[in-house]
Amino acid sequence: MSELLRMEHVSKRFGDFYANKDVNLSIEKGEVHTLLGENGAGKSTLMNVLIGLYQPTEGKIFLNGKEVRIETPSQAVDYGIGMVHQHFMLVEAMTVFENMILGDRKNKGLFIDKEARRKEILELADKYDFNIELDKYITELSVGEQQRVEILKALYRGADLLILDEPSAALTDIEVEGLFAMMRQLTAEGKSIIFISHKMREVLHISDRISILRAGELIATVKNENIDGQDLANMMIGHELSEAKYEKVVSDQEEVISLDHCSFQKQSKHNSINGVSLSVHRGEIVGIAGVDGNGQTQLAQLITGVIRPEEGHINIHGHEVKMYDPGHFIDMGVAHIPEDRNLQGLIGDMSIAENMVLKATHSPRFSFLNGWKLKHGSIRKNAKEMTEKYDVRCRSINQDVRSLSGGNQQKIILAREFESNPEIIVAAHPTRGLDIGATRFVRDSMVEARDKGTGILLISADFDEIIEMSDRILVIFEGQIMGEYSGQNPPIEEISLAMTGK
Amino acid sequence: MSNILKNFKNVIVSILSILLAFVIGAIIMAALGASPITALQYLMIGAFGSAQNIGTTLAKATPLIFTALCACFAYKCGVFNLGGEGQFIIGSIASCYVALRLGVTGFFGMFLCLLAGALAGGIWGMIPGILKITRGQNEMIISIMLNYVATLFMGVVYTNYLRDGSVPQTVAVPEEVQIPRMFPKMRFTWAFLIAVLLGFIIYYFLYHTSSGFKLRAVGINMTASRFNGVPVTRYILMSFIISGAIAGLGGSAELLGTQYRLINGFASGYGFDGVAMALIGMLNPIATVIVAIFFAALRSGATTMQAATGVPTSVSDIIQALVIVFSVAGMALTKLPEFEAFLGRFKRKKGEE
Amino acid sequence: MSFVSNLIYATVRMAVPLMFIALGELYSERAGMVNIGLEGIAAMGSLIGFIVAFTTGSTWIGILCGALAGMAVNMIYAFATVTLCADHTVYGMSINIFAPALASFIYRIYFGTGSDLSQIELMKTVNIPVLKNIPFFGKLLFDQTPMVYIAFLLVIVTSIFFNKTRFGLNYKSVGEHPHAAATLGINVVKMKYLSCMICGALAGIGGAYLTTCYSNTYTEGNVAGRGFIALAAVIFGRWSGVGVLVSCLFFGFCDALQIRLQVASIGIPYQYFQMIPYIATIIALSIIGAKKLGPKAAGKAYRREQR
Repeated sequence: MSELLRMEHVSKRFGDFYANKDVNLSIEKGEVHTLLGENGAGKSTLMNVLIGLYQPTEGKIFLNGKEVRIETPSQAVDYGIGMVHQHFMLVEAMTVFENMILGDRKNKGLFIDKEARRKEILELADKYDFNIELDKYITELSVGEQQRVEILKALYRGADLLILDEPSAALTDIEVEGLFAMMRQLTAEGKSIIFISHKMREVLHISDRISILRAGELIATVKNENIDGQDLANMMIGHELSEAKYEKVVSDQEEVISLDHCSFQKQSKHNSINGVSLSVHRGEIVGIAGVDGNGQTQLAQLITGVIRPEEGHINIHGHEVKMYDPGHFIDMGVAHIPEDRNLQGLIGDMSIAENMVLKATHSPRFSFLNGWKLKHGSIRKNAKEMTEKYDVRCRSINQDVRSLSGGNQQKIILAREFESNPEIIVAAHPTRGLDIGATRFVRDSMVEARDKGTGILLISADFDEIIEMSDRILVIFEGQIMGEYSGQNPPIEEISLAMTGK
Repeated sequence: MSNILKNFKNVIVSILSILLAFVIGAIIMAALGASPITALQYLMIGAFGSAQNIGTTLAKATPLIFTALCACFAYKCGVFNLGGEGQFIIGSIASCYVALRLGVTGFFGMFLCLLAGALAGGIWGMIPGILKITRGQNEMIISIMLNYVATLFMGVVYTNYLRDGSVPQTVAVPEEVQIPRMFPKMRFTWAFLIAVLLGFIIYYFLYHTSSGFKLRAVGINMTASRFNGVPVTRYILMSFIISGAIAGLGGSAELLGTQYRLINGFASGYGFDGVAMALIGMLNPIATVIVAIFFAALRSGATTMQAATGVPTSVSDIIQALVIVFSVAGMALTKLPEFEAFLGRFKRKKGEE
Repeated sequence: MSFVSNLIYATVRMAVPLMFIALGELYSERAGMVNIGLEGIAAMGSLIGFIVAFTTGSTWIGILCGALAGMAVNMIYAFATVTLCADHTVYGMSINIFAPALASFIYRIYFGTGSDLSQIELMKTVNIPVLKNIPFFGKLLFDQTPMVYIAFLLVIVTSIFFNKTRFGLNYKSVGEHPHAAATLGINVVKMKYLSCMICGALAGIGGAYLTTCYSNTYTEGNVAGRGFIALAAVIFGRWSGVGVLVSCLFFGFCDALQIRLQVASIGIPYQYFQMIPYIATIIALSIIGAKKLGPKAAGKAYRREQR
């Protein structure tokens, strides 16, 4: 095999921070080359350099042996480099066809040459056995279909090197199989693929070679056949990490919260809740397994009072809730680790100290006279204690939370929610985007809270996380609960089938 | 520590913006054939040259402080109330009615007039608030439309309902309800003290009470505030009402303290000026008060400058406008990552030396 | 002419400045730039248009220079919001304060502080042969100033641009998802600057129309909230060219109506009629409610190397 691409001594600096440092990477024709690394290891930055979105601070890029400078994304397209981003770069308000031809320079002239373009696209789709409907709007497509549009978009622009950034994150098992089949077809044609992932099973399954990035540096490039998962994991985090094993329990304590035939926008298949009944008891972790977009977001918001069920009702401690309002739910002891910490959990331009007391400024602990005089001293003291207890890495408690890393931001939410001594914690994707250390911290904290008698509802699209953590597992599909399984020796096959609605 | 640093950066940006605006102002003066130094001297003399001039400056500052605090308060809650002018006017109309038609007298009467002004301003401010929280409407457009409506309504009042004979203006409010001066020789009244106190009260509210804390949280991130149990719509409505009441109180104070009657051009431009000052003051109520006094100084000084050097007063308007253009852009500049990187490099270099 | 035909004639005349300004905003918002500084830009266009027309005697050159002045003012906004990533609303507001101050300064310098108003000769109406012979509407629609025809033509061009052309599609993608546009090789920053140039020019023309085709003199505050009504017209017109046309005609109608009513009714203070366009704007916005259909990334700063 011959070499397609070589990156030599590439560095990318943001301010004082090196996102990539002296990276040497070589990609051969017809291979699947995996970039493995934790969140924040610099994978996306490196790829953004490759597609011309970022300019490298130092270093050279060679394509087919010739040095190239990729200064704009359109140059990257000209060089045959295409990328499917983790967050799809699709314009939702446009149709599939419009997305396909956006920015296309094959078409000359003022107007869109609809017939010719459609024919080309459909021929290409046929070649890869894609079934696409050009006139549908992006919002009408499933995640898997959107991804196929993205891949086709790159191929339509003549990509020889396809970068897939965490392509399997939001797919069902069956869809992942389809994706892998397509990747094999592409490499058989001589195209190269850079595959970014941190799911060890998939990496070992599909890759020819694997490069490990850690803290912006490329640690090693290895052949797939010479390595196993544990070695890869160790290289990825830089030290040995014993596998966590959480003890599973069966709670016989009282029920904290229950949903009674709740529905929310049930006409829709996506992002809806359809007649869900479930309960969470003290001292147990109930895991909600399912592929993203099957109503998990709405479920979390129902149980925390953000949205009101259109049918059915919610009981807390056996009493029916009358007022659907987050403040009321908080008063009843419902804590929430929301799925989008920046949008929903934190006030970015406020300090760590202020975010820590976001829910408690009226309490006598932090203010006199029912909130008419804040106790700034107590607020500071609390922040100092909490940053220490939860190991928040920061320069000062007056620092804006916006400037912290994702892991440290999540720790602030944990500190705030766990220390309010809640009856129940609703944790939506609590480890998403965190590195292994922070993930471990979050999981340990949840188990600790459970052992103290808190009920926990864990919603996660990370199947392994659900299996590892849950004492009881519920599967959600298109807004309905498909089944309930014990957390002890869960039937993995059965659960993953249930996640696809079977 | 980082807070101090942040404030320090803001102060630097403001000062640089003001300097830059004055430099350009000076260039314009020179281009008009006047000596910038003399002109600026007269500007200073006009603003602060004598007790009388200082009095005029502070009298001019009073309504500006009110409208600036009105804009500041609403924007702290994340809503852009551009309707300060309308709320100011409605407040003054209500006050005028109470003063002329209810026959109130004495200190209590004055208090009642002010109260009526604040109340009416609050109600006028509530309209865009209600439309925003119930219909999701753009509060900026609504509040500006209401400014025009209020101005026109004032026109109706001084040409019809409370008209002073054949002159298109209202009858002057009776002397008993006029706000007295603090010092007989200086034009400014106790209303100035009220305005400044209001600045401190708002500061206390925003930074030292739980409700103020929540209001700021809503202003920065409504979604997160809602998820964390803050009744967001209630806070938004409250901020509109209070912001309107501040402006209404200002209108009332302007009527009772300075103008005494409604007339064409009353309050013209005060609303937008208030927004500008709140922005230059970085939405800090105390800084906003200082900026308002500074703007007032430019205005009262400009008249003297024009009389002495022939440089038109509109040069001072240009300087004011430039300050906002520069300071808002400067603020954005300091937030850019490239700028921080540049500062970082600069600091490192200094460290190496 | 009868009351009705008078009303229609005036509706068209009043709608045109709004159309220019609102179309400018449409081009701006379609590229993700929410510009609330229209009022200021139009004020600048209005003054420069007037001065140039006054000096050269040509309303056409006046309008052209009004467009250039609007563009120049809006470049300040573009630099601050696109390059420095300042908040669109805050900076638009700064423009609303800065541009009128500059305009009134220039006016004072140019004409002195004398009280006599300088006047110019308005642009002449040009009728379109054949079409003007259509009964009733012919006279009303096809015997207007050329600016009216240009405004209507612009609506058609705008609709075709956004719906049929390749460039229009790329342009829209910048307002919807700038990062996606960038990965496809579209130069987002250039596009945003372009949008600001178009917006500045059109809003400038809208302002210049007021002094060269509508009223033959310049008075401070002559834009009279049209910049903000135009913002409402874009929302009310659902971010489409034809929608903007319809909503501008509606607001133009309100304006025309209030003038007719002022003349027709005696005894009711005229200010109540003058409130009509502003109250109509509030009611119109309240009726369409909160549905957000505009470009998704409107009002958001774009940074290429965003982390």
